[in-house]
Amino acid sequence: MIAGTFTIAKRELASYLRMPAGWIIIMLFLLLTGAVFALSALVPGRPATMRPFFEACGWLLLPLAPAVSMRLIAEEARTGSLETLLTSPLSTIALTLGKLLGACLFLIVMVLPTLALPAILWTVSDPAPDLGPILAGYLCLLLLGLLYLSIGLAASGATNNATLAFIATLFIILALLLAGTLGRQLPSPWQDLLFALALPPRLNDFAKGVIDTRHVVYFVSVSGLCWSVATSLIAWKRWRDR
Amino acid sequence: MIEARDLHKWFGPVHAVRGVSFSLGKGEVVGLLGHNGAGKSTTIRMMTGFACPDLGSVTIRGLDVAEDRVRATANLGYLPESTPLYPEMPAADYITFRATLSGVPRRERASRVDRVIEQCWLKDVAKRRIAGLSKGYKQRVGLAAALVHDPQVLLLDEPTSGLDPAQVRETRELIRGLSQQRTVLISSHVLPEVEQLCSRVIIFAAGEIRADASLESLKRSGSRTYHVETRDADDATLNLLLDRWRAIPGLEQIRGDGLTREANPPRGKFGWRTWLLDFAPLDASPAGALADPREAIAQAALASGMVIRELRSQTRSLEQLFLSVLERAGEAERDGVAVRA
Repeated sequence: MIAGTFTIAKRELASYLRMPAGWIIIMLFLLLTGAVFALSALVPGRPATMRPFFEACGWLLLPLAPAVSMRLIAEEARTGSLETLLTSPLSTIALTLGKLLGACLFLIVMVLPTLALPAILWTVSDPAPDLGPILAGYLCLLLLGLLYLSIGLAASGATNNATLAFIATLFIILALLLAGTLGRQLPSPWQDLLFALALPPRLNDFAKGVIDTRHVVYFVSVSGLCWSVATSLIAWKRWRDR
Repeated sequence: MIEARDLHKWFGPVHAVRGVSFSLGKGEVVGLLGHNGAGKSTTIRMMTGFACPDLGSVTIRGLDVAEDRVRATANLGYLPESTPLYPEMPAADYITFRATLSGVPRRERASRVDRVIEQCWLKDVAKRRIAGLSKGYKQRVGLAAALVHDPQVLLLDEPTSGLDPAQVRETRELIRGLSQQRTVLISSHVLPEVEQLCSRVIIFAAGEIRADASLESLKRSGSRTYHVETRDADDATLNLLLDRWRAIPGLEQIRGDGLTREANPPRGKFGWRTWLLDFAPLDASPAGALADPREAIAQAALASGMVIRELRSQTRSLEQLFLSVLERAGEAERDGVAVRA
């Protein structure tokens, strides 16, 4: 299973890097986050912080992660290559895990060059920036990416239409971002549920440099849930009308 | 090698596959025939594990596909009808990807990929992106990918659809070469293709198997027609000739060329008449019926004092056999009888 997962992940990552769209996403991300960093962190007299950079990354992931994930399964189903994959000696679990891993690797490739930014900040600022919020920021970015891509994987498994998968992913992410605001309008049990699901308080903690295990468990477990939904949807497709 | 048992599949209210059972032995090359929507592709998809049967089971080398798909399909090579590929990948990379996915050990991978590239005549385009290849090359890339793990069972769904005549010929040659060591199931609309490649034919209609027989026995189950051209003669001689022909065991009717019912042909140009003699299928002929009645036809003509210019068997093509099986099945269905060839 592990070999199959890595084979799928490797092909997935290579396919992003073989297509102009993959490079455009990377360029856009680096250009915009770089600009935010230059305008916020490299201003004389201001404290050396990367908080605006991580906030910008969070907002940029909102459209970019669904753009990366929308094709994961929907495109395979549309072109028929899902038939090739599912008739190979490869388990459905290995397939979805490989797809998610491939998309996450692409995200890492996209974020990796930004490691130069804290290095720059380290060199030019006096006093040196606090390392805790920077490490927490990168961990948060990876967990947020994992969550968004997992949601995208599930949405992509539910339809053969990549555009529909993009819209559904965006909608679910916005619902998680606005869950707290919506929860305030609702009575107790619903309010508690929506507060528990809400993303912003967790992001705020990471921004302060606090790595709370509960938040890490939240990101990993919701991502795991979405991955298992995607896996079940593919298994269900075998029974459904073709 | 591979066995389908009582497969059923419903698409909503439509009962698309109805109790299909057959097995393919080692080294058999079997053609799956049927109109569009007859249930061929759905049956193949159930055999590969891509679709689950609502009832029934498929086993490959004793392993149930629904219960243990990963192990059961390890020895299966499958070329889907639409040949889905990844256009952004170079052909050789795609074949390597499929080899890895199929569990070909790392140390053997490069040599296996090279071998199928050679086997499928892909050497010239191996490094080119699939998006830039012609339909024929894409089909061969799909075939090479299905073969790279050296499977013992090959399922090919419409392997030559969309190819030009030269590519069709090359692909058929390739399949013929492959079929010498493997069990091959070919689903096709192209009847001459099945006739050239397969030794056994399974005919599908309305989700059911209407005939499952060797090509030879299918041909024997069809009626036989002989084309005879004789010099014209007076009515008495003609009647004598017709009586002698009617005495040949198995003869069903004598008709003129272009006529469907018994009737004497009109006199042709320059005093020649063309006759068609219909004989019953060999397996439905009376005892003593000749497998090849041409000698008896000629002797009857000579004994009647007639000159024969031409005498030949009008061999029925698979297309005619296919249509006659469907026709008989339709008639039987109307009479409430199931047909099995």
